[in-house]
Amino acid sequence: MSSNAPSSSAGGVGSADSAAPRRNSKRPKYSKFTQQELPACKPILTPRWVISAFMLVSIVFIPIGVVSLFASRDVVEIIDRYETECVPENLRDNKVSFIQSDANKTCTRKLRVKKLMKQPIYVYYQLDNFYQNHRRYVKSRSDSQLKDNSSWNDVSSCKPEDMSNGQPIVPCGLIAWSLFNDTYNFSLNNQQLAVNKRGISWKSDRDSKFGNDVFPRNFQNGTLKGGKILDPTVPLSKQEDLIVWMRTAALPTFRKLYGKIERDLQPNETIHVTLENNYNTYSFNGKKKLVLSTTSWLGGKNDFLGIAYLTVGGLCFFLALSFTVVYLLKPRRLGDPSYLSWNRNPGGH
Amino acid sequence: MSIVTTDTFSWYQVTRLVKQGTGRVTLGIGDGANDVGMIQEADIGVGISGVEGMQAVMASDFSVSQFRFLERLLVVHGHWCYKRIAQMVCYFFYKNIAFGLTLFYFEAFTGFSGQSVYDDLYMILFNVVLTSMPVISLGVFEQDVSSDVCLEFPTLYQQGPRNLFFDWYRILGWMGNGLYSSIVIFVLNVIIFYDQAFRAEGQTTDMAILGTIMFTCIICAVNFQISLIMSHYTWIQHFLIWLSVLTWFLFLFVYGMLSPTYSKNVFQILTEALAPAPVYWTATLLVTIACTLPYLAHISLQRCFQPMDHHIIQEIKYLKKDEKDKVMWKREKTKAREKTKFGFTARVDAYIRSLRGRLHKKTHSLKSKDGNPS
Repeated sequence: MSSNAPSSSAGGVGSADSAAPRRNSKRPKYSKFTQQELPACKPILTPRWVISAFMLVSIVFIPIGVVSLFASRDVVEIIDRYETECVPENLRDNKVSFIQSDANKTCTRKLRVKKLMKQPIYVYYQLDNFYQNHRRYVKSRSDSQLKDNSSWNDVSSCKPEDMSNGQPIVPCGLIAWSLFNDTYNFSLNNQQLAVNKRGISWKSDRDSKFGNDVFPRNFQNGTLKGGKILDPTVPLSKQEDLIVWMRTAALPTFRKLYGKIERDLQPNETIHVTLENNYNTYSFNGKKKLVLSTTSWLGGKNDFLGIAYLTVGGLCFFLALSFTVVYLLKPRRLGDPSYLSWNRNPGGH
Repeated sequence: MSIVTTDTFSWYQVTRLVKQGTGRVTLGIGDGANDVGMIQEADIGVGISGVEGMQAVMASDFSVSQFRFLERLLVVHGHWCYKRIAQMVCYFFYKNIAFGLTLFYFEAFTGFSGQSVYDDLYMILFNVVLTSMPVISLGVFEQDVSSDVCLEFPTLYQQGPRNLFFDWYRILGWMGNGLYSSIVIFVLNVIIFYDQAFRAEGQTTDMAILGTIMFTCIICAVNFQISLIMSHYTWIQHFLIWLSVLTWFLFLFVYGMLSPTYSKNVFQILTEALAPAPVYWTATLLVTIACTLPYLAHISLQRCFQPMDHHIIQEIKYLKKDEKDKVMWKREKTKAREKTKFGFTARVDAYIRSLRGRLHKKTHSLKSKDGNPS
């Protein structure tokens, strides 16, 4: 490795080359870039900068934290866990056989509204201990098949749910096969509460990933049904429950949008829910919850963002104060040569 | 230590003896073909190109054109290179640990099935495009003090041999910083985007969205961190840091514009899902600051209580105390140099010769004044 270092030749002050008569000089052309003399800003960390930086962070973060916390406090949430209570008491010893049997799975629940809930109120189903993010589960789908009718045959990545009775399944794969199939019906004061199930999925999914010429076929035709049965006359781009379900969740505890209630709910109202407890989460000790929630500009109910901002802002404020105290008690004059190492321990390098 | 040899003992054998005997790093400098053996034997070989040809240059690690440039090579470029390489390597450890460990933490939430939370292209581009440019500009342009100060204070070169910037304390410190950053990035994002909706329209987070958010936090935190490490900002460093962050958003935008056949889960993720969501931007800001806060506190404390030599000199230059108090500056410069003891007799001889030469000139001019032709 031989590096010719033209930058080393920059030190030629008073060299023979500059005297007349000039020999043929091989000195490279000077440029600020190659001589590393580009104009530069060299900020240094003075006490003023340190304290200002911390104060700035705390001044910005504390109001953001307060605003976030207020937004989260405004959100009203009703959570109802029902998977154990919706199994009749006498059959609770063997919930798996109950859910796999043909018994009546209708269940009624009562939800009490504690605070005013302004519309739209979002209805979610929440599953716990369900690993939609498992690698083999995430792989088990065929995006080309979902998008385009001409690829209805493309089921290779969908094993084990690729073929049934010798025919390809549309939509294939474990994700579609395990589609959630509990249903909820809401009534308030004996009047049906309408749940809008349109527009619950991402628009880009409806328009570009799920074709409007793709229809379910040969779906849930095998011996073991994993979930919901799809209407073969409705194209996939309109099967919004499927579209929402196919967006695999990040964590084992997740909520998915079921629908929207488009009227206000007053405090102390009681909502009656008639639900069909069809989905088998009992084989793996999963939990099922029904969630009604309003949203704010920040989303659903999560105090954590506001608390985190307040914590970091408060910590920065505390650091700014501590540094002020430190700099007042033990000041070090900037540029004080007595701190140079050869002055601090002379002769002891 | 000075060594004088006779012709029968070659220089490369001397170099080997010195290396083995003292265990120190040796530098060999020469300009002729007979020096090639020594140059190759020494740890650092410097070849001088010139009168005796290019053999020494071709065998050497570094080559200069004049012997006196050795001073600049060591004291300016050697000093800068040591610090640049030390900082670059520590930063590389830091950013890859901060990124890689988040993948491992996520595995705990996927039943250890090996599912990656990031899209493949994110991971490919991380080290190639998104975080490489600022650190390369750090390695090429970083100067803790300017070249004149390096020449005036040769003691600063000692930071290299004493290994002040690449000892275990620093390496482990940077790895610890990476570990802390990875924990902060992962935990804060998972809790903020846990199960509730993240937008006013009620949609919940899925894996592609969480992965993109976490990756955005990593890119911003890591690039903000390097801006705190640098002390010498040319326009290139500014530009490259901003470019890295903007490239990430631009890439996300363009990737999202491709057909879903190629972009799969990232299709329109920025334009549709993330950019309009205020929680995306607030979470990124929170995580970026939370990751870099301990480092900022650490360097502030270090500069206050245990400033290093180059810190003091930087401050003197910044406050222009070298111009205001020239006496102090000259005094410190002298203290920072130790008179060399090498070649003592040779220099004494040269001094005597120069004195004789001056005396000869004086007597010569006196004689010519008397009218005697010389």
